[in-house]
Amino acid sequence: MEISKGIQIQGLALLIKPENILVIGDTHIGMEAALNEEGMLIPRFQFNEIMQETKKIIKKTKPKLIILNGDIKHNFGSISRQEWQNTKKYLELLEKNSKVIFIKGNHDTILGPIAEKQNVEIKKHYKIRDIYVCHGHEIPRDKEYEEAKRIIIGHEHPAISLREGPRTEKYKCYLKGKHESKELIVMPSMTMVNEGTDVLKEKLLSPFLKDKSIKNFEAYLLGDKVYYFGKIQGFSNIN
Amino acid sequence: MPEKQENRIAYHEKPYPDKAIYETFNPLVEEWWKKTFKEFAPPQKFSIINIHNRENTLVSSPTGSGKTLSAFTAILNELTDLDMKGILEDKVYAVYISPLKALGNDIEKNLNEPLQQLNELFKEKYATKKKKELSVRVAVRTGDTSTSDRSKMLRKPPHILITTPESLAIMLTTTKFREKLADTEWVIVDEVHSMADNKRGVHLSISLERLQRITSFTRIGLSATVSPLEEVAKFLVGYEDPDKELTRPCKIVDVNYIKKLNLKVLSPVQNLIKSSFNDIHASTYNLINELIQKHRTTLIFTNTRSATERVVHQLKERFPKQYTKIKDLDEETDDDKSFIGAHHGSLSKELRKNIEDRLKNGELKAVVSSTSLELGIDIGYIDLVILLGSPKSVARALQRIGRSGHKLHDEAKGRIIVLDRDDLVECSVLLKAALEKKIDRIMIPRNVFDVLAQQVFGIAIEESMKAEEAYKTIRNSYCYKDLTREDFNKVIKYLSGEYVSLEDRNVYAKIWYDEETGMIGKRGKLARVLYMTNIGTIPDETSVKVKLDKQYIGSIAEPFLEKLRKGDVFVLGGQTYEFRYAQGMTAYVKTSVNRPPTVPSWFSEMLPLSFDLAMEIQKFRRFIEELFLSKSSKKDIMEFINTYLYVDEYGANSIYEYFREQYMFAEVPHDKKLVIEHYDDSKNKYIVFHSLYGRRTNDVLSRAFAFILGRIHGKDIELNINDNGFYLMVPSSRSVQVSRAFSLLTKEDLRLVMKHALEKTEVLGRRFRHCAARALMILRSYKGRSKSVGKQQLNSRLLISAVKKIDEDFIILREARREVLEDLMDVFHAEEVLKSIHDNKLSVKEIYTDIPSPFAFNLITMGYSDIMKMDDKQQFLRNMHNQVLAKIALKEARSKN
Repeated sequence: MEISKGIQIQGLALLIKPENILVIGDTHIGMEAALNEEGMLIPRFQFNEIMQETKKIIKKTKPKLIILNGDIKHNFGSISRQEWQNTKKYLELLEKNSKVIFIKGNHDTILGPIAEKQNVEIKKHYKIRDIYVCHGHEIPRDKEYEEAKRIIIGHEHPAISLREGPRTEKYKCYLKGKHESKELIVMPSMTMVNEGTDVLKEKLLSPFLKDKSIKNFEAYLLGDKVYYFGKIQGFSNIN
Repeated sequence: MPEKQENRIAYHEKPYPDKAIYETFNPLVEEWWKKTFKEFAPPQKFSIINIHNRENTLVSSPTGSGKTLSAFTAILNELTDLDMKGILEDKVYAVYISPLKALGNDIEKNLNEPLQQLNELFKEKYATKKKKELSVRVAVRTGDTSTSDRSKMLRKPPHILITTPESLAIMLTTTKFREKLADTEWVIVDEVHSMADNKRGVHLSISLERLQRITSFTRIGLSATVSPLEEVAKFLVGYEDPDKELTRPCKIVDVNYIKKLNLKVLSPVQNLIKSSFNDIHASTYNLINELIQKHRTTLIFTNTRSATERVVHQLKERFPKQYTKIKDLDEETDDDKSFIGAHHGSLSKELRKNIEDRLKNGELKAVVSSTSLELGIDIGYIDLVILLGSPKSVARALQRIGRSGHKLHDEAKGRIIVLDRDDLVECSVLLKAALEKKIDRIMIPRNVFDVLAQQVFGIAIEESMKAEEAYKTIRNSYCYKDLTREDFNKVIKYLSGEYVSLEDRNVYAKIWYDEETGMIGKRGKLARVLYMTNIGTIPDETSVKVKLDKQYIGSIAEPFLEKLRKGDVFVLGGQTYEFRYAQGMTAYVKTSVNRPPTVPSWFSEMLPLSFDLAMEIQKFRRFIEELFLSKSSKKDIMEFINTYLYVDEYGANSIYEYFREQYMFAEVPHDKKLVIEHYDDSKNKYIVFHSLYGRRTNDVLSRAFAFILGRIHGKDIELNINDNGFYLMVPSSRSVQVSRAFSLLTKEDLRLVMKHALEKTEVLGRRFRHCAARALMILRSYKGRSKSVGKQQLNSRLLISAVKKIDEDFIILREARREVLEDLMDVFHAEEVLKSIHDNKLSVKEIYTDIPSPFAFNLITMGYSDIMKMDDKQQFLRNMHNQVLAKIALKEARSKN
């Protein structure tokens, strides 16, 4: 499904056409090791799922360039052994047939060594035509940003819970709305540990969304395929 | 020792003569006793000699009947005797275990008093140059005990050690402390009834076996009214030979008859159905106030914490003069300004202590509590107990009412105030059962795997040993007699981290297991710390704080938050609030606009009606129906109700009218006839099961039926339960084949059906979290960190799916299913109900009504709803999407016109 002209939703990733650029949001590799450190001794399962989901998308889209849009790894500051190994494994998968660019997120305070080792470029943002891709934890003020018409961000891990009678279910989602005069697209996270932040309920963190009413955003919910739900105010009771 | 099991658990029915008891006493003790007490209290007449003879003893008697000294006198006697002979050693002789730290502190005080008196007497008459004083020591060791006090105890151990189940397990794991316990001769378990039916008791039962491994000791249990006493006795003493089903012997002392009961059911208004909600509300508070004013100190029990707050608030508001002190110049804190207070588990320790102290000092007219004041902490003089709403079980009613008239020959005075007609019938039958001492039976959990895992870990830390030996030790516990070696091995495998790959094992494994030698032992340096900081069975309910700006309003359960979205209106503590947004574990609200709640209240803390009491009510229903069927006159029926239930005329009249309406209008369901009422409000179809078995049983039956019907029709089914029944609800357009569900659902398949029915429920997820925490898979405290955000981010469904990938029946997941089915719900009685239907002992009658019948009314209006999910998550999304599409299409069509 096309969320914006030339931008397709491919599962948990966005594909920019015609250049075939794949954008992947918030992978948070190493989150499970971090959970272990906090005393959650639950068997690790998320990394394999991220690998599988990514493989599926790559196979389908055959991208030339893959942009990892921030929060690639989970830990602030340090890199754990598991993070290092898994990030390496993940990059090897991505780099098989594509070039890879890292966009720095707020969790990625140390990416240098791993990027260097894998020969990956680290950037604060990526721009192509009128499309500007950045993590979304801060609002950039560079010239390229000012010129851009469409912004793609991650960071927020948006999700929406649907409710009918006593039943409530939560789904990862894409959001599309406005920021100032630009079109804003918010990507879901690639994290499998949870669906993300319920935008109908929780306080939003990204400065792009923080003090904004979410009701005029359009929602694309992810299930076995993409479901367009229209504007949030149309299907929820929030105001 | 008796060879046969039937002789091993025996009631001790004859009191010993005073002379015989005195003969066991050391002369000093005898003199002290005669000087201090006039006589032996009933439980003492039965138990002192038995305990002196080192016989295991279970004493069941009401609070204030001299229970504590019935356990301790023989011990004090012996310790004093040893002391006077100069052979009292520096080691622990007796361990006293109580479920409450506060209770332990009370006992310490209550023991120090006799010890002091004995010492005074000793100094007066027996002191020599060599021995000037007696030196029997008592000390408390709980989670609150400081490190320095703990090491002091190591240097100079108390002769009587007061502790909690958790601290006992920790001591058993500490090498140095274990040595001090190695000669323990008596263990006293207080308030056995409060632990026997839950995992804390299961945990304690293994700790006692761990202690038994190092020393043999006499077990003494103290209990309030509980049933069945024989099973509780077995639970207390454990098995000597589980293969031959031989328990250790135990004498039961049951002296529950001694306290007189003065009980009444009161209705705040003459006619419960014709009065408006506001009338009932106002009259209830007037009635409560009137009762309080007529008595010196009143203890009021509500069934929920929020109701506790509400009652205090209402009484202060409605009767400010009675409950608020006139502000004088005394510099008192806010708390001390009133004559009424709340006491419940959500309040801080300090606040609770403050209330307890003021209660003891007679400064309060009334205290309102939920369950926290049920247990025997010393609260001073209470002359009236009010129960607001049904206490749901006879044992609980007696326990609560027994808090009044603390002295032995005082009568216990209780008033149950009922708020609707179901409540009236229930409480009247309850009152009858209480007066006739028909105590509802408790269920003692068995084969509990999460507690087992925690304890095996403790055992492995204690020392390396053969797994077989640990297995044998554990099987002596009442709760694990039937534990198979296979399941035990699964727990060992879990603990040794065999569920993850070898490279990750260092993170997950807690013990090592050598398959060749069959040995287990602790693994890693952190094992001991990890065990000590995470021990216990009481789950950390992650509750969500509710705040109005910065002001804290109260808390809600986590799954309730999951249901909320911006703009929702909900009730908390009697007030309505509008939900604004959540941030982490805090929900921000504003005081609501004038809108009714958009989400139903959260009923998770409701007490369930006991099955036995439910059956008594059903029996009563049958008697009344028989009277109607035989065309008895109103007078005769009223007379029957009056004598059968001990209610006054108003009460009897309300009950009569209630049953008559049901009889005329529909059909009276009872213990031999299950009525299923079909009712359609043209929007939805309701299938009401008048299954008065209590919500624990109804929880199982409703889900099982919903699941089967959901399977037949392939659609979600909404369900709603309370103690008196349940209903299933589908849109009117759908047909439902109830009779087919009955033929498909049998006792034999119930557990399998429920396994599937529970798979996607919130409750299984939540309970899995608790079990994972008890099994130390999710650690409260790890590497010095105790709180974390990550833990809360991980949702239960994903946790379950992670472990399911290892094994569909992963041992901890199996435990979660067991806990839900057997502890939270009541699968055993649900099986019984299904069996009696299939054996034609319970007939099923379907009826059709235009409006809900009187008996169905409360259920339809007030039940707690849930859903049996048949659609998977994807299908649900598609359905919701179709609805949105339809809405859009409608809008477009409208705009075209």
